[in-house]
Amino acid sequence: MGFVRSKFFQAVLVLAVVFLIFRFGIRPPAPWSVFTLYMFVALISVLVYVSSNRDSWRSFLAPIRSILVDDSKLPIRVAVMVILPLLLGYYAYTQASAGIEAPAELRAIHPAPPASISFRGKPLDIQGLGNPLRKDQANFQKHVAEGGVIYIKNCMYCHGDNLDGNGHFAHAFNPPPANFTDPGTIAMLQEAFLFWRIAKGGPGLPKESTPWNSVMPGWEDRLSEEEIWKVIMYLYEATGYQPRRWETHAAVPSPLTPTLSSRGAREMRGSSPPAAEGEKFAVSSPPPGERTEVRGSVVSAAWAQPAGDPAKGKAIYEQKCLLCHGEKGDGNGPAAPLLDPKPRDFTKGKYKIRTSASGRLPTDADLLRIISEGMPGTSMPGWKVLPERDRRHLVAYLKTFAGEAFKEAPKAADLPKEVTSSKESLARGKEMFEAIECNKCHGNAGRGDGPSAPELKDDWGNPVRPANLTKSWAFRGGGSPREVATRLVTGLMGTPMPSFIDSVEKPEDVWHVANYVKSLGPDKPVFATILTVRAVQGEISDDPAAPFWSSQPAHNFPLAGQVVVDPRSFNPSIDLITVRAAYSDAEIAFHLTWDDPTASKPDPKAKTFADQVALQFPTKPGEGNERPYVLMGDGSNPVTLLRWTSDGGVGEATATGVAKLTPRTGEAVKAKGKAAFADGQYRLVIKLPRVGQDPNDLAFPVGRFLSVAFMAWDGGAGETGHKMAFSSWYHFRLEEPGSNKPYIIPPLVVLVTAVLEVLVVRGARRRTDGG
Amino acid sequence: MRQWLSVLCCLALVAAVVWGTAQVGAQGGGSIVGEVKFSGTPPAPKIVKVNKDNQACGNEKKSEELVVGANKGIRYAVVSLVGATGAAAKPAQKPVLDQKGCQFSPHVLLLPAGAEVDILNPDGVLHNIHTFSTANPSINKAQPKFKKVMTEKFEKPEIIRVQCDAHSWMQSWIVVQGHPAYAVTDEGGAFKLDNVPAGKHKVEVWHETLGKMTREVEVKAGAPTKVTFELAKK
Repeated sequence: MGFVRSKFFQAVLVLAVVFLIFRFGIRPPAPWSVFTLYMFVALISVLVYVSSNRDSWRSFLAPIRSILVDDSKLPIRVAVMVILPLLLGYYAYTQASAGIEAPAELRAIHPAPPASISFRGKPLDIQGLGNPLRKDQANFQKHVAEGGVIYIKNCMYCHGDNLDGNGHFAHAFNPPPANFTDPGTIAMLQEAFLFWRIAKGGPGLPKESTPWNSVMPGWEDRLSEEEIWKVIMYLYEATGYQPRRWETHAAVPSPLTPTLSSRGAREMRGSSPPAAEGEKFAVSSPPPGERTEVRGSVVSAAWAQPAGDPAKGKAIYEQKCLLCHGEKGDGNGPAAPLLDPKPRDFTKGKYKIRTSASGRLPTDADLLRIISEGMPGTSMPGWKVLPERDRRHLVAYLKTFAGEAFKEAPKAADLPKEVTSSKESLARGKEMFEAIECNKCHGNAGRGDGPSAPELKDDWGNPVRPANLTKSWAFRGGGSPREVATRLVTGLMGTPMPSFIDSVEKPEDVWHVANYVKSLGPDKPVFATILTVRAVQGEISDDPAAPFWSSQPAHNFPLAGQVVVDPRSFNPSIDLITVRAAYSDAEIAFHLTWDDPTASKPDPKAKTFADQVALQFPTKPGEGNERPYVLMGDGSNPVTLLRWTSDGGVGEATATGVAKLTPRTGEAVKAKGKAAFADGQYRLVIKLPRVGQDPNDLAFPVGRFLSVAFMAWDGGAGETGHKMAFSSWYHFRLEEPGSNKPYIIPPLVVLVTAVLEVLVVRGARRRTDGG
Repeated sequence: MRQWLSVLCCLALVAAVVWGTAQVGAQGGGSIVGEVKFSGTPPAPKIVKVNKDNQACGNEKKSEELVVGANKGIRYAVVSLVGATGAAAKPAQKPVLDQKGCQFSPHVLLLPAGAEVDILNPDGVLHNIHTFSTANPSINKAQPKFKKVMTEKFEKPEIIRVQCDAHSWMQSWIVVQGHPAYAVTDEGGAFKLDNVPAGKHKVEVWHETLGKMTREVEVKAGAPTKVTFELAKK
């Protein structure tokens, strides 16, 4: 056991333990930079400790010296001398071949507001301005309620039902939408500041807050002065924060201080403690057992909790659910006309996501699951911000809407024994997929483009789209094989998706089909932060199906709907675009791939339009990172669009605002392109010269961070003009040609390390021999 | 006190009438024969262009939602006696809902409550049975090409729309009878209700696009009573 007392062993042990604690003990994981800093500090402390006196230092060095000089340790010495350079060489390779990351952008989070602004042409002093509606105490609740309706119709898509900046478009934006429940946002600000931000949006930010990446639009065109003040009141009431005052002593954020609001009333009713927002800041933790989660889909056995109280559920429903699902639970709340898919109508007792058989009602666990997890791909968020007890009260209340329907407790249907994915299972799944004709609605490749797809309607007569099976992350009831198999067993009530359990050849076939469906796409899309453009020699292929293009690295970018200008796009058909790019001396080419169920032709009778896609570039690349407003710029900051339409081919245009386009014509159009459509997917190549003759032409210099954004229209879904999907701004960069760094640097590192090793060993041996 | 009295009187009266009707019924019955006719100029039948599975389904389908015969007689109207009692007789053969050629046949199926129906798919393509019901569970089950027969049971009286989402033109109706007094009109719009007890009755006609109409008729024992309905487009 002598080695335990060895300082070297102790040092290694301490470092290993510290590494494990920092790497796996901290939740959520610390960022890499923090982690390396901690490890560095630990290393220094260990070195200080072992070198505290001569004996200790010698004991520490002894094993190292022994490996370096002892003849008996020759095999270890050789092994170390070989492995060490290789490890360093590999590290050098990963560093040299890593892609370039988007440059960090600094911006002021809360820039100083201007002293005054012009609101719809009327001058308005921001300095010292208070919310005029606060004087009208009698109508306080009314104003807040109206603010809530304005919020749900305009702000919810990005800032979320829970006001946490997590709306269903939020993932598409960088910087992300503000989280109002964060004490660092509205709790630190005066109401006048919010008024300025809402009225003027991203384009109204001062210079120090550039780049204008913020997608936040200026709402002054859409909302009146009074409406903005109302929505501001709602923000404070719903989060429980107090606005900061203009007085010298700034109010301390006080999330737990009940105001004279509905919140206070709710607490008195003994319902949830400050529900959504409170959980985050609550000083006292909930009672044990409160947070046990019922997860997974077939969990009726876990339903041992006491049933919720419908009366308590009603109070929560009115706070959290009513704006979409309506007072009567018929899915007709104020926000309903703006949502697609529509909010659930609880009065019919027809629920899509169940574990019970076709025609049966959902179990309590099914309802709790949907409330807790939300429905991906829709505007229904997960409500885990509410304590589980409150969610159970909601379950109890929802059931009262369907009259007597829930009198009998529904049972979960039997799910055949699980079959894990394998080559055989996938083959059987494909065979069954074809035999039971999933393609009739979902299409041959599963992209929701089957021949029956355009005619599908739900039980309420609203058109519904079959799921795009390649995007399992947006499946309403979850994307795991178990959840997909459960949907095949139960069907989705109220939609055309039938139950298949009685109509597969063997019950376990639902698992094979589920495994096959999962194999059609990735579990989750990996989103890119920068588009890298590779250098190639000679002409770039303009054939979208060319193998050249599939060999280029793919970059996924999320798209969100345009909800600022009418007609708004609340559920854009195209939510993802995959981009590849390459350049040569003469030209640059972009290869775009996106899913669209139909190659549509313009037909005014059927209200269909041409399919379109556009790449957007700043017309005048500004100093630093300044960019035009992402929705096609504005008057003083125009953008240039490279467009493709299914009826007109490739074109170019300049824009100075949403759909304020000036197309280029004739000789001025340099871009060319080719598109191909197959199995519910477009592929398109757009090429243009890298350096234009005209000063207004786009230029694509090598090695610079340039800006690009993407837009898409599914004409078959009635998208045209303002009704569209768009992305944030992204950087793109033309890589230096033929970068051979990954092949030169690592061998150099290996060589240098090896030489150093030899020198150290020689030196050590000489000293030992000499001494 | 007086209110209670009048309520009681009313109840007694209702009871007497019901008892009386039942007594009349027991004394043997007659029948109701009649026609359901279209009032006004009947529209041209809708033709649906088939845009998928043409091999199995053909190229076009004549919609059966409003079929008007030569004499303006409306086919597929459901005639029933309001308030009739007793269980509908079990059919001699198991009722069948066929989907041959991507068309439900019969377009309107009478089915005694609690009876099973065989749903056939001889087409070699996927169909799905999607019912829109409130009293019975509303089902939606796939019937792929290899599943030639599926059996479903309907327990509670109700008129149920049946749809195949894979072929949007495929619509039909299952009438789950709570009592025996039901009939469906034929090509000429004619119907016959047998074994109707003598006395005054309410006869109701229902059509999927034209709605409902009721008529009072007096039935004499041993003789057919004639009645004609005229339905107009709403």
